Amino acid sequence: MSRYLIKRIAMMIVTLFMIALLTFILMHVVPGGPFTQEKQVPQAVLDALNEKYHLNDPLWKQFLDYMKGLLKFELGPSFKYQGKTVNDFIGNGLPYSATLGGITLVFVLLTSIPMGIVAALKNGKWQDMLLMALATIGVTIPSFVIGTGLMYIFSYQLGWTPTYGVDKWQGYILPCIALGGYSVSFLARLMRSSLLEVMGQDYIRTARAKGISESRVIVKHALRNALIPVITVLGPTVANLLTGSFVIEKIYAIPGMGSYFVNSVTQRDYTTIMGMTIFYAAFLIAMIFIVDIFYCLIDPRIKYD
Amino acid sequence: MDAANKWERISSSDGEADRLYSKSRTFAGDVWFRFRRKPTALLGFILVVILLLFAIVGPFFSPYTYSQQNTKMANVPPVMKVFPGPDGSYFYITQGLKVIELDEDGHLIQQLKKKKDDAKLKQTSFKFGDDQLVIMDYSSLPAVMLDQDGNRIEETILKWNATYVLGTDHLGRDILTRLMYGTRISLMVAFIATAVNMIIGILYGGIAGYRGGKTDAIMMRIVDIISTIPLTLYVILIKVCLDDGLISIIVALSSVYWVDMARVVRGQVLSLKNQEFVMAARTIGSSTRTILLTHLIPNAMGPILVTVTMLIPSAIFMEAFMSFIGIGIAPPMASLGTMCNDATEALRTNPYQLFLPAIVICVIMFAFNFVGDGLRDALDPKLKK
Repeated sequence: MSRYLIKRIAMMIVTLFMIALLTFILMHVVPGGPFTQEKQVPQAVLDALNEKYHLNDPLWKQFLDYMKGLLKFELGPSFKYQGKTVNDFIGNGLPYSATLGGITLVFVLLTSIPMGIVAALKNGKWQDMLLMALATIGVTIPSFVIGTGLMYIFSYQLGWTPTYGVDKWQGYILPCIALGGYSVSFLARLMRSSLLEVMGQDYIRTARAKGISESRVIVKHALRNALIPVITVLGPTVANLLTGSFVIEKIYAIPGMGSYFVNSVTQRDYTTIMGMTIFYAAFLIAMIFIVDIFYCLIDPRIKYD
Repeated sequence: MDAANKWERISSSDGEADRLYSKSRTFAGDVWFRFRRKPTALLGFILVVILLLFAIVGPFFSPYTYSQQNTKMANVPPVMKVFPGPDGSYFYITQGLKVIELDEDGHLIQQLKKKKDDAKLKQTSFKFGDDQLVIMDYSSLPAVMLDQDGNRIEETILKWNATYVLGTDHLGRDILTRLMYGTRISLMVAFIATAVNMIIGILYGGIAGYRGGKTDAIMMRIVDIISTIPLTLYVILIKVCLDDGLISIIVALSSVYWVDMARVVRGQVLSLKNQEFVMAARTIGSSTRTILLTHLIPNAMGPILVTVTMLIPSAIFMEAFMSFIGIGIAPPMASLGTMCNDATEALRTNPYQLFLPAIVICVIMFAFNFVGDGLRDALDPKLKK
C-alpha cells in the first residue's frame, strides 16, 4: 500500500508540473503582451510595466520564478486589477464555490443513488421508465439551459426563489439543481445498471435461498457491491461540478471562483487564468487521489498497481 | 483460390435442407438492420436529417441574413398581443413603448412615428396614416391603446408574427434565420472537430498500441496527464490563446478530445495485433503503415464509430458552453450558445429569445445521443444490456 501511495504521489507531482508548464507556455505564446491595448500606451509606461512584472527576463527565468511562487502557494499578481493577486480572487471566491459545490455533491448523491435503486428494483415498470426518461433528459440538456429555464419559471413566473445571490438559503436551490442535473442523471443510470448486474449474481441467489428478507439482501449484499462503480466516477463527477460552476455562477450571479475565472477569461487576464487553472487542476488531482484511495479501501479485490 | 476443387459436388436435391435461404448481409447492412429496429435511434436519425436540412438548405429560403438588423422591429415576439385600430389595422406595443402597425394577417408594416408625448397623463400620440392619430396609454403597465373615443382597449387579440415567424432579437434580427446559421455553425464545428479528433486519436492510439513497450508507456502517460484535468479547462485555455473566430474554436476542440479516441483505438489494436491475420501480414513483409491502416484500423471500426457518435454531442455542447460564457464565435455571426448568452440579459421580458435556441440545442443533443446509443447497440450487440 505504501509503495502504491508513493508512486501515486510522485505521479501527482509530475502531472502538476506538466500542467503548470503547459499553461505557462500557452499563456506566453499569446501574440502581444498582456498590456497590449487598443489605446496606444506610451513606450515608457510599457517598459515600466514590463520591468515591474519581470516580463523582460528570459522565459526560463520567468518560469523558474513562477514555480518558486507556486511552491509558496503564491500565484502572482493580476494584470488587469491593480493591487489584486490571484490568491485574493481564490480567497474571495472559494467559500462561495465550495459551499455551492459541497451542497450540490450531497444533493447529487442523495437523489441519484435512491433514483437508481428504485429504477433497478422496479426494472421495466413505470417507475423505472419515468426515472430513466428523467435521467435521459438530464444527461442531454446542457446545464445553462436548465439553469436559465428554472430561473425563468421559479424566480420570474412563480417568484419562489431569488434570481441572484446566495444571501438566503433559497438562493442555493436552483443553482444546485442546475449544476447537479447532469451528475444526478448520470449517476442514477450508472447505479441502476450496476445494481441490476449485481442482483443477477449467484451470491444474491444464495442470500435469498438462506431465507434472508429481501430488504436485507438488497442493503447488505447487493448495494455494497453495486456502489463501487458509482464511487469510481466520483472524481470525474467533482470535475464536472467544478467546470459546470462556470456557467451556473454566471447565471445566478454567485461571486464564486467560477465567475472570477470566466471574467479573467473574457478579459484576458493571463496570470489569473494561469493561476486559477493550476489551482483547479491541483484540486481535481487531489480529489481523484482521495477517491482512488477510498476506492481501494472499500474494495479489497483491487490490487495496488 | 481454387476452393471449388477441394469440395465434393453433391446433387442439388440432397443439399436443399442445408441451404441458406436468406440473403447474406454486409456488415453495414447488418448494422442498419439492428439500428432501425430501435425506435429512439430511428427518431434520432430522422431528427439529424431534419436538422441538417434546416441548417444547410434553410438559409437559402430565408429572406433575411444572420446579421441584417432592423432596430425599429427589435424584440418583437413570435406571438403578439395586439390591439385593434382604425381601418382594419392592428397595433403592437413593444417593451420599449414603441407602437408597431400590423395588418390583418400579422405582417409587420411599420413603427409609428411619435407625434406628442404627454408626460403628465402618461399618454403618447402616434401618427397613423395621413392625418389620423392613435394614442397609447402607459399610465398603468402593461401599456394599452386607446380607441377613437379615448377609452382604454382592454381586450387584446393574439396574433402570429407573419413577418418574423420566430420573432426578432434585441437588434431586430430574424431569430429563425439566426437559428439556421447557429445550427449550421454548431454542426460544422462538431463535425470538423470530431473528424480531426478521430484522425489524431486513431493515429496516436494505433501507433501506441502497435508499437507497444516503451513507446506505448510514454504515449499513454501523456494521455493520462492530459485527461487528469477536465477537457473544458484546456479548451478554454487554448481558445484564450487564439483569436475569436470559427477556426480557433475548431482548433481548440480538436486539440484535446482525441484522448478518449486514442485510448479506445489503442485497446482495440492491442487485442487485435497478435491475431493470425496480422501475423500473416507481417510474414509477407507488409510495412507497419500498411498493417495499421489496412488491417488493424478497419477491424477496430465498430468501437471507433461508437466513440465518434459520442464525441459529436460533446463537441456541440462545448461550443455552446464556450459561446455562453462569452469566448465563442465573434458577433455578428450566430451560434446557438451566443444567442442564449445574448438573451439571458432580457430573460424576464423576452424569454422566447432564450428558449428558442435552447430548444434547438436540446433537440440536437437528443438527436445525436439517440443515434449514438442506437449505433452502439447496433455495432456491438454484445454490449446491449
